[in-house]
Amino acid sequence: MIILFSLSEILDYKIADIPLINVLTFIFIILVAFALGKIIRLNIRRALKDKLQKTTVKTLEKSIYYISIMIGFVVALPQIGVSLSGLLVAGGIMGIVLGFASQTVVSNLISGLFLLIERPIEIGDGINIGDTSGIVKDIKILSTTIRNYDGIYVRLPNDKVFNSTIQNYDAHGARRFTYNVGIRYRDDAEKAMRIILSLLDKHSFVLKEPSSEIFVEELGDSGVNLSIRIWTPSVVWYSVYKELLWKIKVTLEENGIEIPFPQRVVWMKENIKK
Amino acid sequence: MFGTYGLSTTLKGDDIEIIVEGEGKKKRYFRRAGKDEIEKVIFADGGNLVVCPVEPVNLPQDGVAEHLLIELNKPLIIEPGVKNTIFVKFPIEIGVFLVDKRDVELIDIFTRIKPKYTLYGPPESGIICKWWKSDIFDDKPSVKKLYEGILKVDISNKYYEWVELTKMVFDAYSMKVFYNHSAYIHAHLIIVNKTIGETTFITRRPKDMQGSLDIYISRGVKKLEKKFIMEWRFK
Repeated sequence: MIILFSLSEILDYKIADIPLINVLTFIFIILVAFALGKIIRLNIRRALKDKLQKTTVKTLEKSIYYISIMIGFVVALPQIGVSLSGLLVAGGIMGIVLGFASQTVVSNLISGLFLLIERPIEIGDGINIGDTSGIVKDIKILSTTIRNYDGIYVRLPNDKVFNSTIQNYDAHGARRFTYNVGIRYRDDAEKAMRIILSLLDKHSFVLKEPSSEIFVEELGDSGVNLSIRIWTPSVVWYSVYKELLWKIKVTLEENGIEIPFPQRVVWMKENIKK
Repeated sequence: MFGTYGLSTTLKGDDIEIIVEGEGKKKRYFRRAGKDEIEKVIFADGGNLVVCPVEPVNLPQDGVAEHLLIELNKPLIIEPGVKNTIFVKFPIEIGVFLVDKRDVELIDIFTRIKPKYTLYGPPESGIICKWWKSDIFDDKPSVKKLYEGILKVDISNKYYEWVELTKMVFDAYSMKVFYNHSAYIHAHLIIVNKTIGETTFITRRPKDMQGSLDIYISRGVKKLEKKFIMEWRFK
């Protein structure tokens, strides 16, 4: 009883007109905010250390740590009689101003986080986003940097990356490309297909499986059009694509099969002829 | 051809020529394999040249494949619970290393085999593998030593159904190649169910053989003990 009385007396004790209990609550909230900040910081570091650059992770974890502490102060300050209403009015106006100003920054930040979670692209991938094609060099929290195929540095804001259609040429191990090759009507299409298949079979980077396909796609105006569909490892597809078409043309010609020129048969009226 | 040599040597055989020559510290390295030739200059006081078979996934371009797929000429049908050993052939790549007490450096790699790649699994998630087709042998087959090696596979069907096998996939990172006159690998294939299997390698050196230098270790890549899960069927 005596102890309880003493305790309540102690708690009623005032420091600069603030009851001790409020001071203790203030300290407790601040300590909890620090602890929570540290826990969140640690978890962010663990979750993102393999996905983001070290500097980006540090910036992100620091920001979130300080935001946690700030929230702790906002919650705790009324306990020691600091009114936040004035601050809130000023903060509200400031918030609106800042909100408008940082709208795109926040949008990029959130898009960046979603890009890191969804991972549609990775560093080193060959991609096409909108009208930009190239190799992904870095994915930062606000932007993605690409070296386009002309060697030029391109910075894309993350919200643009996130909201655009992304074509990732390296997401899958293998990819297919197609050639359309025409031969003359008098050439044997089956022989041409056998020759092309044999050529493809000898090429290291033309995959065994899925196998290449060749078929007559169209009986065209000037010749028989063959469609040649070739699967290659994604990392080398462009070099194979550049190399093979000419080889197909040369091999067909070596075997007496030629690519036709556009031609038109003109019938002359007999009386004109006379 | 496989073995350890001093830094002044000439090796010839099967349309392959390796020459290291020169006085003092400056040496000329020359290698010809068929029509493929390469020449390098070496500055060295001591050290040795090691020529040995390496993990066969590096040529014609490094980084394309990290797995070797052996396709069997005839399907192999395995009874539930049965363990058996087969021998197949695999394509070899030959590595030339410079070795001294402190470091191992791969200076050249070549092959006499025309490489071919394939996709194991579906296009959206499958993996690119170096491809090779082989007959099945009951005993160690004779091989063209600078072209092919011998792969011994202990197969164990732990599933309760018959399983038909036409392909086996092996991970190059955990591969261990041995050699004497020819290259040799010893692997395990455990059939877990109708569509899934595990391949691993025996890393213990056979009595009459030497272990090849690991290409990944020479490149500074740490080798982890691991198995490859064949998750996209055996045919």
